[in-house]
Amino acid sequence: MSGNLAASSERVIEATGLQRHFGDVVAVAGIDLAVARGEVFGFLGPNGAGKSTTVRMLTTLLRPTGGSARIDGHDVVGAAAAVRRIIGVALQDAAIDPLMTGNELLRLQAVLHGIPRAVARTRGPELLERVGLTAAADRRVGTYSGGMRRRLDLALSLVHEPRILFLDEPTTGLDPTSRLSLWEEVRRLNRESGTTVFLTTQYLEEADELAGRIAIIDDGRLVREGSPEALKSTVGSPTLRVDVDPADLDATSGVLAAFGPERPAREGRAAIGLEGGAARVAEVVRALDEAGVVVGHLELDAPSLDDVFADATGRRLEGAEE
Amino acid sequence: MISLVTAHPGGAGHAVRVAGAVCGRGMRRISARPTLIMPVLLMPLIFVIGFTGAFGSLTRVEGYGTDNVYNWMAVYAALQGAVFAGVGGAASTAEDIENGFFDRLLLTPGSRLPILVGTMGYSALRSTIPTTGVLLISALGGLSLPGGLLALVATYVATAGMAAVFCLIGLAVVYHFRTMRSMLLIQVVGFSSMFLSTGQVPIHFMDGWLHAVARVNPITNVLRFARQGFLGDVAWSTTWPGLLALGGMALVAGALALRSLRSLES
Repeated sequence: MSGNLAASSERVIEATGLQRHFGDVVAVAGIDLAVARGEVFGFLGPNGAGKSTTVRMLTTLLRPTGGSARIDGHDVVGAAAAVRRIIGVALQDAAIDPLMTGNELLRLQAVLHGIPRAVARTRGPELLERVGLTAAADRRVGTYSGGMRRRLDLALSLVHEPRILFLDEPTTGLDPTSRLSLWEEVRRLNRESGTTVFLTTQYLEEADELAGRIAIIDDGRLVREGSPEALKSTVGSPTLRVDVDPADLDATSGVLAAFGPERPAREGRAAIGLEGGAARVAEVVRALDEAGVVVGHLELDAPSLDDVFADATGRRLEGAEE
Repeated sequence: MISLVTAHPGGAGHAVRVAGAVCGRGMRRISARPTLIMPVLLMPLIFVIGFTGAFGSLTRVEGYGTDNVYNWMAVYAALQGAVFAGVGGAASTAEDIENGFFDRLLLTPGSRLPILVGTMGYSALRSTIPTTGVLLISALGGLSLPGGLLALVATYVATAGMAAVFCLIGLAVVYHFRTMRSMLLIQVVGFSSMFLSTGQVPIHFMDGWLHAVARVNPITNVLRFARQGFLGDVAWSTTWPGLLALGGMALVAGALALRSLRSLES
């Protein structure tokens, strides 16, 4: 599934047949991944798809039960300490001790990564300034907002200036402003420091905005991989969604079937891939009118990553249509 | 990349700094929220007050070893406090595992042994708080020090050692089960092993299976070591069996904890 990565690119994250079973439960079912140096790689999937389990294996927190993975040439099992030396990790839920201050956490993180005190003394304030937390540095983290915690978590993951950064759902639960601010910081890191970013997310927009390449995981398996544009182009036609009275849904689907293939849609809504695109919308409306269907709402969207996901799995990502 | 030039993770110096930082974090948490230490402090204080009141008349029985009940019970209560302190240290790790903070520690590039050592050090250090509390309350009740300053040294060494041992036992369980609920198991082990020793009465006051268990219970030797300075002089012949018991328990518990720590990845 890594065919879209240029053959000449230096691969810093590589997984081959990576698997993780928990008893009879298969969390990750043998995935192949390759991420090039300096790339922002999006790992997209719904809750429970296997994103965090994959990240935990790649960051040496969980031992794979099959396959292998290498980070900048170091095996995640055989050379785990070497892997941890070169990666930065901001895990889901921003695991931060609420009784500690931002400054205390940065000092602890510096010690954990073997940063000399003199270096830590200058780097801590620099990082806090970078993420806009200088004023809150001596406040207990328990008083921080969700966005502040995430930004502090990001700063902590950068203490040792890692070449590769793993961000596990970094914006889950954040308000739109905090989300945009974190996106900007990720872009800046990648642009200015050339940091390779492996980003897991369940937000289509986030993957679309940040990632140069995306892998979509569902039920522990990679179902698509490529650049957002390339993935969207595979879907082809735009998606036409029509809201009608539930009693008219069957009739609506019958009418729409003449204009393109059915696509997954939430309850009470019909959707098709509209062959011929926007030019045929008027024709669809006339056909529905002739069939006596009262249209509540109609929208035509260019192919999205949600369409890619739906095309690959037969269902939509939770909340993607909202 | 500064990390390649200035960072030296993995060496002995790094290990010492990590252990110190983990231990220091625990102590800072106590200063940030003093209520964290309250159960560890209050329980042994209640013990010393309760036991000296309930068993005060035992000192009149011939062969009890002292005519001052505080000289017998203070060390027992202090060691109970140390057990609480040790279990509490492991409980803080359970909390870290449950809220994800422990992952941050596990991502240190060096050995993970200093994380365990730091937690153990934190438990030993925090045991000085209940020990001091118990000794102060007992001093108000009439505790005497026939063994002089060495009596206090022996008590602090014994309580710190017991806290370390029970922290290691707790960590062995916590690393394996990864939940706070698993701490109940350790509390049962801690309580029962203290009760099945010479905590309350001398060994020759016991009979039957209780006598047999107390004889082989290593905590009996730790109690003798810690208590000797309150009953008479501090002697090497009573000291080394106590230190050996502490060392032996720490070795076994440490090996189990290390094994469980490794299982965290699997």
